[in-house]
Amino acid sequence: MSEAARSIDDILARRRIIVTCGTGGVGKTTLSAAIALRGALLGRKAAVITIDPAKRLVSSLGLHDTGTRLGDEPTDLTRLLHDAMNETMEGSGPSGTFAAIVPDTRKTFEALIAELSDDPALTARITSNPIFQVFAKEFSGSNEYMALERLHLLERLGRYDLIVLDTPPSRNTLAFLQAPKLLVQFFEERFIRWLVLPANKLASAAMRKALGILERLTGAGFMSSLFDFASGLFEVRARFTANLNRLLELLRSPDVGFVMVTVPSPDTLPEARHFIESVREHGFHFDGVAVNRSLSYLDGKDSPGAGDAGSPGSAEHKEALRILRALQARERSALAGAADGIPICARLPEFARDVHSMEDLFHVAMAFGPLPDRGAR
Amino acid sequence: MTSKNLLFVSGKGGVGKTVVSQAIALRLSRKGLRTLWVAFEDPLRPAGELRQAGPSLWHLNCDSTLAFEEYAALKIGMPALARVFLQNKLMRYLAKAAPGIHELVLLGKVWHDRTRYDHVVVDMPSTGYGLAMFQSVRNFRDLFKGGPLFRDAEEMLATFHDPKLTSHLIVSLPEEMPLRESLELEEFLRDVFPENRAEFWVNRRFPHVATREQARKDPPDLWPTPFARTASEYCYKRSVLEHQNLDLWRDRGIEFREIAMIAPDPEQTQASVATGIADQLQREGIL
Repeated sequence: MSEAARSIDDILARRRIIVTCGTGGVGKTTLSAAIALRGALLGRKAAVITIDPAKRLVSSLGLHDTGTRLGDEPTDLTRLLHDAMNETMEGSGPSGTFAAIVPDTRKTFEALIAELSDDPALTARITSNPIFQVFAKEFSGSNEYMALERLHLLERLGRYDLIVLDTPPSRNTLAFLQAPKLLVQFFEERFIRWLVLPANKLASAAMRKALGILERLTGAGFMSSLFDFASGLFEVRARFTANLNRLLELLRSPDVGFVMVTVPSPDTLPEARHFIESVREHGFHFDGVAVNRSLSYLDGKDSPGAGDAGSPGSAEHKEALRILRALQARERSALAGAADGIPICARLPEFARDVHSMEDLFHVAMAFGPLPDRGAR
Repeated sequence: MTSKNLLFVSGKGGVGKTVVSQAIALRLSRKGLRTLWVAFEDPLRPAGELRQAGPSLWHLNCDSTLAFEEYAALKIGMPALARVFLQNKLMRYLAKAAPGIHELVLLGKVWHDRTRYDHVVVDMPSTGYGLAMFQSVRNFRDLFKGGPLFRDAEEMLATFHDPKLTSHLIVSLPEEMPLRESLELEEFLRDVFPENRAEFWVNRRFPHVATREQARKDPPDLWPTPFARTASEYCYKRSVLEHQNLDLWRDRGIEFREIAMIAPDPEQTQASVATGIADQLQREGIL
């Protein structure tokens, strides 16, 4: 065993920034908000940043009908949390503060280009290029990069002593880690240089031939956009690389910890092993695996409770129990090897309803464990 | 679905698109129709592998690098010239780094191979990436004004739009976020293919422990805690929650098919789950 598992509270105590990674559908956004909320309960000035195309955070907090909007600027939710805690009779309110930020990626992107180019004419040339417009919208690393940009900006302001970054949803837990490399690939100078050279200066006949074929296939309009795009990239490349390096430096600092969010399945441990390896290769700090939607809290609670609804004894009910037991058994065997070098920092029960209110989000934050006694009073 | 040549199976990650699309392909092949099931860049299988998975059933692991080479060779025509093009370092860089090019050639491969089979069932990547695939064909059509690639992109979109040739299936789980996301997915598909509306299936439906009537009378928002106390109560609450979640679709007049959840067991494989679903599709006369 390489190290003892830390709890979420241990991780909160040692980090100022927590980055959560995980595939779509594991409840990462809700869990990230709950970690920030937990920080607020422990007295921190906490904020969660979420790139949230599905508006999950608005829904988790029950803000749909309240008129409270989440946006690029931090929204202070401390008051709401205070009310929720009174509602659930769990104390008088948080000792810290709780805010949420949902970055406007388009705005961040344009601001970044403006900063990189440092010249309005160049900025306009880059952003009006049709290839750039596709790139900004579709490039699979751009959301990840924008999340980092926003984190960096917020961190520099120094208004919060805890920031939880909920990384964009992806099919792959490693997507966030791979994004910078994908972007760097784009700026490979020797390639861009070929595209910015005037055609008659191309020394190699093979290169002229290849470009000729490309032009025949794609049309002259595309080629001129491509050359224009490349020259734009060429001019901002040095500043871009410097900027990216600053972001990576921030992520490597001991203030930042990475948490993987997952649900119990046979893939959990292999995926976690892979993730831990990759985080370390990048020189980042791995803090633990948070297992969400665990059914283990129902182990040994098989006997129907008094007043159970849903016609116990029916064929459907029997089939449902059979499936539930199979799911519990699968979870037990899936996590059986967890002690072996895979620190599980939290195991959260599957709720019987979706989280739709600050009260339920508070319940999630409390499911991390009892709060430490706030001093002997 | 049984009369279409192409079927795209889309949905959020983790909803079981892979097994559901495999089950559909298996079921179609059992009718004696030549069927191809396509996955995109499955890292667990060899790149570009085409293997026979049953009588009249083939599985293809479509790979973008191979598809790009195949497509370039086809378009350039002369093998010597194609080699110059494909071995050029700059072209290799562009093929690797240009956003959307992978998606374009992967769909291009499906589009090109479709004529060799009665049915081609495509396991699309999860929502965002799946959308990006159709989107990138559109983007390239707009970027390449004229030229052979422009014409191919146009023809691909026309095929995917034609309800006589192609159907689009959206798979979801009876959970809130996947159901909501599939509505957004449908909106996007409708925007790209307005004349070819998607079908909806909900996978892994938990047994109906509660009736819809019971669910209406006992809404989850009024439960005092978000937890279940016993296994039995969990089963009831989960069933109520699913009924309520599916109202998200019903309220919009969406008709859908239900695939019952298959209990996991240690011996289970992707293929055995797909077979279980294929049997269900047959038993219930869905396909």
